[in-house]
Amino acid sequence: MTDLAFLGIADAADLIRARKLSPVEYVAALLDRAGRLDSRYHAFIRLTPELALAEARQAEKEIAGGNWRGPLHGIPTGLKDIIDCTGVPTTAHSKVLAENVAAQDAMVTQRLKSAGAIMMGKLATHEFAIGGPSFDLPWPPAVNPWGGNHFPGGSSSGSGVALAAGMLPAALGTDTGGSVRNPASMCGITGMKPTYGRVSRRGVLPLAYSLDHVGPMTRTVRDNALLLQALAGHDPDDPGSADVPVPQYAADLERGVKGLKLGLVRHFYAEDMQAHPEQVEAIDRAAAVLRGLGAEVREIRLAPLQDYATCTRIIIRCEAFAIHRRWLAERPEDYGNLARQRILDGAAVSAADYIDAQRLRGRLTRRTLETFAGLDAALTASSLDPACRIDDADACARLYPRQARQPFNVTGQPAIAIPAGFTQDGLPLSLQLIGHPWQEAMLYRIARAYERATGWTERHPFDVFPS
Amino acid sequence: MATNNDSLLRTAATAGLTRLNEAHLAQLKRAMESARELADKLPTDLHYSEEIAVTFRLPAAGGSKP
Repeated sequence: MTDLAFLGIADAADLIRARKLSPVEYVAALLDRAGRLDSRYHAFIRLTPELALAEARQAEKEIAGGNWRGPLHGIPTGLKDIIDCTGVPTTAHSKVLAENVAAQDAMVTQRLKSAGAIMMGKLATHEFAIGGPSFDLPWPPAVNPWGGNHFPGGSSSGSGVALAAGMLPAALGTDTGGSVRNPASMCGITGMKPTYGRVSRRGVLPLAYSLDHVGPMTRTVRDNALLLQALAGHDPDDPGSADVPVPQYAADLERGVKGLKLGLVRHFYAEDMQAHPEQVEAIDRAAAVLRGLGAEVREIRLAPLQDYATCTRIIIRCEAFAIHRRWLAERPEDYGNLARQRILDGAAVSAADYIDAQRLRGRLTRRTLETFAGLDAALTASSLDPACRIDDADACARLYPRQARQPFNVTGQPAIAIPAGFTQDGLPLSLQLIGHPWQEAMLYRIARAYERATGWTERHPFDVFPS
Repeated sequence: MATNNDSLLRTAATAGLTRLNEAHLAQLKRAMESARELADKLPTDLHYSEEIAVTFRLPAAGGSKP
């Protein structure tokens, strides 16, 4: 059972293709594990066992008939519960949408189904991807399997927890101000925010249209590349989707980093904000590892972290309020306290300030991309701190703005968070890599070289914190 | 003379939020304070020539979707 719990997409795909692993047995084993563990970790809003087993039987039949569709065929997958799956409620972890049954699949759900992935259920989120962690909602917040009772990051919290706890090998999250990379960082897994426009958002409940991204979450780098491969591509029905060719993301994974030029954005976590000392050490050690592997790493300076934060916060507030205004007008009491506050924040921002924030966005993007010229990629912190206890509301509130992810929602560049070690208390630390637009493959190449050199993704919480 | 609460109620009504209770209005008050702080952090040299102008686009000739 332990082997199946922490089996990755790539290894499972090899076994399934060779008919050494039955998708039905795989799905049943993970459903059983989720059934046993999830009363403690609350990763799932809803498991869909009937749907999952029916799809697994279909996959098994197809593969037995010689119709293997590719590496996601028969792979159990979960969706953050703002992503539509036909016939299943999309609740956004909110009373407001508790009965909201999806009439059709989101484009990313369609793509996963076409690739043969198995839908295991809907995963916990911060309410409407903005308000959390919260204890005043119809479902409890997801809890980090690393540590005793710790915050898993958010808003794609259930996705991070399900992966770290070995309930799923693949999950989707969304990232508007860092919500794929935050739970990836806190839960010790791998989360990619692709380039803006790379993955369709059609059928995904928006938080802020101009900053929203859907991203793959997995335990390993290779698995992440395989999952993005299935998701990426143009969708003319998403106005933000870009018609840009999709490369083979896993093609260069093992090429290493020798000769690559990497920028280190140290001022984000050592000057603009002072990160936790163990996090600072982790990034500096990661830079040293990459140098040791043959990359050239030099410090670069972008705009201060606070400039990106101001820009992001104004845009999210305004766009989120525009989306929620009517629900908030009719049913303010049905929102949890945190989401209501964060959405009401947008009621008080002027249109002129919103437009200025968009102007600032253009300026920051131009300057950031100019600084990236001549580099292959950059690295910096993702979270500035390890996870705090989830029942410490003040600590969670302090953690919320202490991050270096928002700059790349502003610029739309691809950015990946990967494990970068552990604190002395055994909590995950993380590293963020940032690339040129459309160059996710370069990030996977660098991330894989670092992963291979350090082995951080091979550790699981139950080696350290028995369940 | 209008009270702070009257002012908050007017702001809420302007935004279409007519069902906020006292606790919600207290949240709106915090939102207004926070919005002012955020606006103060915006650069003052932003110029209309930096307009992003990507909010509306007509379909290309022969295109089927805006």
